[in-house]
Amino acid sequence: MNASRRAWTLGGLAGAAALLALPAFGNDYVVGVGLTVLMWIALTQSWCVLSKMTGYVSLGHVVFYGLGAYLVVVTWQQVPLAFAVLGAGLLAAAFAALVGLPVLRVRGPYFVILSFGVSELVKFSIMAAESASGTASRILFGAPDLSVIYYAMAALALAATLLLGWVSRSRFGHGLRSLRENEEAAETLGVPIVRLKLLAFVLSAVIPGMVGGVMATRSTYFVVGQVFDPMVSITVIAMAIIGGGDDAKGPLLGVVFLALLSELLWARAPLLYMVILGAILIVFVLVLPNGLAGLAARGRTAARPPDARAAP
Amino acid sequence: MTALLSVRGVGKRFGGLTALADVSFDVEPGELVGLMGANGAGKTTLFSLIAGNARPSSGDIRYDGQSILGLRADQVCRLGIGRTYQIVKPFPALSVLDNVRTAALFGKAQARTAGEADALVRPVLDELGLAGVADQPAANLTLSAQKRLEIARAVATGARLVLLDEVMAGLTPTEVAAMLATLRRLRAERGLTLLVIEHVMRALMDLCGRIVVLHHGQLLAEGTPAEIGAHPQVLAAYFGTPG
Repeated sequence: MNASRRAWTLGGLAGAAALLALPAFGNDYVVGVGLTVLMWIALTQSWCVLSKMTGYVSLGHVVFYGLGAYLVVVTWQQVPLAFAVLGAGLLAAAFAALVGLPVLRVRGPYFVILSFGVSELVKFSIMAAESASGTASRILFGAPDLSVIYYAMAALALAATLLLGWVSRSRFGHGLRSLRENEEAAETLGVPIVRLKLLAFVLSAVIPGMVGGVMATRSTYFVVGQVFDPMVSITVIAMAIIGGGDDAKGPLLGVVFLALLSELLWARAPLLYMVILGAILIVFVLVLPNGLAGLAARGRTAARPPDARAAP
Repeated sequence: MTALLSVRGVGKRFGGLTALADVSFDVEPGELVGLMGANGAGKTTLFSLIAGNARPSSGDIRYDGQSILGLRADQVCRLGIGRTYQIVKPFPALSVLDNVRTAALFGKAQARTAGEADALVRPVLDELGLAGVADQPAANLTLSAQKRLEIARAVATGARLVLLDEVMAGLTPTEVAAMLATLRRLRAERGLTLLVIEHVMRALMDLCGRIVVLHHGQLLAEGTPAEIGAHPQVLAAYFGTPG
């Protein structure tokens, strides 16, 4: 296992160094691609804190992103941007705390549908409020420099990765995995399931709230429908499934793989892109349910000599 | 000496169905008490009420002199009551070791770190013959091993009172004999108090100092195995009335 840890450390450091150096060397297009990768890392890792750890698969992760973006846009040039972004994280967390108890009472497909419904409900409520007040869209002047946005996003991607890494190794995470496997048994063994689920939900909301806040400054034109786009939630799930595993490594693989693939195909063959994405998802769900992380682990086991495999 | 567990006039209704009515008995510290009764007599329901998985409709349940009425299952566990499930509920994708770690981390033991938890978990795995499969996912275990995993988790919570729900059902006679020895050892070495539901009658008669018999949700009889074996109402309930 030591060799694989070294490979992960080296790969991670090289990747992080390349991403950090990007604004100094790359043109705006390359930096934009890097920003997208960082955004998906932050979103996917934070989604995993709830959904990978507890098995409560959320199809509404974008709601936190949208709320964060909306807060930054309505407070535009009235509040220092850094405070607005922090506020975006707090708003998302507060919303999660508010809806968490009722929403987390249902499991499995019911939770999937409910999380999607909550997200759409918030989207259409804000749309209705906006049109009632006569604002169909907003134009933002004085957005910060791209490299500022980029480094803010890098900090969020790092924070999300560290958060998932900590949760995955902690006593808290052990409780989450237990309740994912069997809620009743976990509760009987002393796991305070309601409190743990709610805490995971709130923790998973903070970072996407801030990501939404930061991304709102990226475009000069704000439309509600866009920042609550369900495709964001779906893409996050696809990245997490393709990545696999339930620690912080899997999502990194999934994000990089899918973000680069989409960058290669998006401009050249937008229709083909969705077909290929669908096909890849089917292959992963059917053949590699544990994703790229599972594939890597399997590769390691096969590479070891047979006697080493038998030994504990 | 106050009873470790005191069940006082406990009843449970599900809609119009009375699962338990006015059941009272005590379990003293260190005792090994058998809970007997036909299918549907209310044995597992009683376990669920004690362990906090469900709430009684009437009556009171006291543990160590304190009422545990209205506590959630995780709170009851942290007070020191462990339970197993008749239909096993392992964490299938987690290793056997991780299954039992959950109990040590979150139960009465409240281990703060993985190292602290492992110091509690390893001896329990040894006692229940699970050390060799500690790194296997629980889903890979045989039924016999899954039953032992249920017990291992309940014990590793640090419980003083363990409720065992048919841990011998479906086991071969050899496995039953081994299980009896294991339960006796657990009780002797860890000073556990055990309340045991069992359909394997010989096992129950062998193991328990005292037996409580439920019938149609009511307490039918209570006494030593010999008394229960000769009790006319118990015989009537199990074998029918002569003539």
